[in-house]
Amino acid sequence: MTTMLHVDHIDTFIGQYHILEGVDLRIEEGEIVALLGRNGAGKTTTLKSILGLTPPRTGSIEFRGAAISGLRPFEIASQGIGYVPEHRAIFSDLTVEENLKIAERTKGDFDRRKDLILTLFPDLARLIHLPGTKLSGGQQQMLAVGRALVPENHLLLIDEPSEGLAPILIQQMMEAIRELSSDTTILLVEQNFIVASRLATSFVILEEGSSVLSGSMADLVDDRDTIAKYLGAV
Amino acid sequence: MTTTTASQPTVARRISDQLKRNRGRAAIFATLAFIFLSGLFTMDTGDWMITVLRGLAVGAITFLVASGLSLIFGLMDVLNLAHGELFMLGAYVGWTVYVRPDTFLDFLLPLMIILAVFAASALLGPLLARIDLGLTARRIAAAVSAAAGVLIGVWAFGRFPLSIWDLENFNETPTANSLALDTGVLTVPEPAAWTGSPVVAVLGLVLGAALLTFAVGLASGRGPSGRLTPRRFTWAFVALGIAALVWLFGDQLTDWMYGLGTGPRFFIALIVASIGGFGAGAGIETGLIRPLYDRPIYQLMITLGLGFIIIELVREVWGRPEFTMPKPDVFNRTGEGCPGEGLGGFFSGCSTVKILDSRVRMYNEVFIIAVGVIVLVVITLLIKRTRIGMIIRVGVQDREMVEALGVNVRQVFTLVFAIGVALAAFGGVIAAPALGLSPEMGSRVLLLALIAMAVGGLTSFPGAAAGAALVGLLQQFVIKAGSTGIPLPWAEEAWKPSPSLVPVSVTILMIVVLLVVPGGLFGRED
Repeated sequence: MTTMLHVDHIDTFIGQYHILEGVDLRIEEGEIVALLGRNGAGKTTTLKSILGLTPPRTGSIEFRGAAISGLRPFEIASQGIGYVPEHRAIFSDLTVEENLKIAERTKGDFDRRKDLILTLFPDLARLIHLPGTKLSGGQQQMLAVGRALVPENHLLLIDEPSEGLAPILIQQMMEAIRELSSDTTILLVEQNFIVASRLATSFVILEEGSSVLSGSMADLVDDRDTIAKYLGAV
Repeated sequence: MTTTTASQPTVARRISDQLKRNRGRAAIFATLAFIFLSGLFTMDTGDWMITVLRGLAVGAITFLVASGLSLIFGLMDVLNLAHGELFMLGAYVGWTVYVRPDTFLDFLLPLMIILAVFAASALLGPLLARIDLGLTARRIAAAVSAAAGVLIGVWAFGRFPLSIWDLENFNETPTANSLALDTGVLTVPEPAAWTGSPVVAVLGLVLGAALLTFAVGLASGRGPSGRLTPRRFTWAFVALGIAALVWLFGDQLTDWMYGLGTGPRFFIALIVASIGGFGAGAGIETGLIRPLYDRPIYQLMITLGLGFIIIELVREVWGRPEFTMPKPDVFNRTGEGCPGEGLGGFFSGCSTVKILDSRVRMYNEVFIIAVGVIVLVVITLLIKRTRIGMIIRVGVQDREMVEALGVNVRQVFTLVFAIGVALAAFGGVIAAPALGLSPEMGSRVLLLALIAMAVGGLTSFPGAAAGAALVGLLQQFVIKAGSTGIPLPWAEEAWKPSPSLVPVSVTILMIVVLLVVPGGLFGRED
């Protein structure tokens, strides 16, 4: 197994605020890693730091063995990282099809991956010509994940896929993510511990901007004290 | 059967919903349609048609400026207040290529040498890397280097041969040049000679430009923009190639350009102005706008200042007096049987035709509108069909997400800014034969374009087109009413709006539209 992503003790500032104070993270190829922690622990900022959207001031990030810290976000993404942001960021002036097409990195990406995306999210097929604004929250979430699948990415950064979704949609989303993990590595931020524990193989817990604990998800599920201490009651 | 009966009420309701939601827009369109159509009853049909054509022509020119403004504003939230002056500069550059190609070629040589040095500036990288200075020392060195570069560059530039008009001597002014071309007596001017040795001049210019890039590298602290990429190398090579061509075969090229008909030369003028506008736009975005994305007010002020600089530059180089740009011969044909009958008259050799007993000038009232429509179609296709178009539609709001998809947003910004300025410069050349050239033409068209954008919805591209057409139509109708008068039922004499009401009417249109639909006619609901 090779290391997909290695985040080595990064510190990130947003304006004057010191948001991340030493985050370490290692993801092996084929894993689903859950990034856990309370609100404001720095989970989203960690994803953004990996992508260079909020570039870390110190520390280093390696993706597939090559340093990516200091590169611009589009350069980092182009190396094969897909991003599903927290609030989906669907482009409201574009149709569903255009929302997918804009994610192409080489011409024809969308045509090559269309079948895969529409198999995972069959709903999108009948919405394909609707503008992004007409979609419900769940449909937007599917589109956001679908958009990250258009280029063949090695790593997906998925932020809160279950947020604001009805239970049945959460179920569907979980199945899709599980199916994806067969050929993609995933770093998942998830508030809903039940969802995270069922999907992820390992975990990293953040607290106040630092990574404090990591290990195998199977161990964490049985460790009620740790869960209560870092994540609150579940 | 059941489905149709079931869906009919919903369709009806949907239409009524749409109407209700767009009440304000519908009212404005109805009022404007009433104003324009009522002209049919108060004036002669031929007069009415010519007024509509003139309005659309003014609209087309306004649109060429407003389209670029709206693309730039929609994508990157930058209001380029220099846009009108870039339109004007395009017109003057186009005029130069068209009327005085020898001056253009003379100027091309030093310009290409400077561009080649800029493109190859990365060669200075290793030298810069060795310089180890404190911040203050670096800045002082940069200022000294820049000042020396400008001084040496200007000195060397002055030694290049430049055969140019003479603003002091009437027979040599741009006005006289235009007149000479129009009457067919324009002759190839005597080529100018180098002052002193050409080698000294060229080396001086290279040194000056190199010192300037060196200063930029020192000031930014990163060296002059990285590596000598194959692309930059190609650009440097192309620029040097053009420079060599002009240097070696300048006289032959000049004769060739003068020998071309006015049609092809006008076409070359359009292309040169567009390319020049594209380059200037790219330069302005990277050099002036990009460092200030965090400070939008500064961007506004820097474009405003740039506008003033361009005005002064134009006054200095081309002089203050207004002068004309002769139309290409195709649009300048008179003779027996002219004005021709109907649009077909154009093809039987008349540049003015009679439609409904009114004289229609093919260039001013038909060609300009056609160009406007073509540009509208091309840009609409660009926006609807291409990836760049999608990014333009997404706009500035989701910049982070677009970047995270792997799009080099900065590059797209530069490209769109360059396209916008190229459109303005292109519009300047198209407008020049109809409007004439004056240092004030830019501010006038910018004002109209800004009003057109506000009327149509600031970031909406179709809005810019519709707004420009409305503004042009209204303006021309008010002008026309100034001579024909508007009969009012309660007054004995027809009311004739005074000329000062022309700009006012357009402003009133904007105020009314913004009061009724604050987002503009095609703007967003929010």
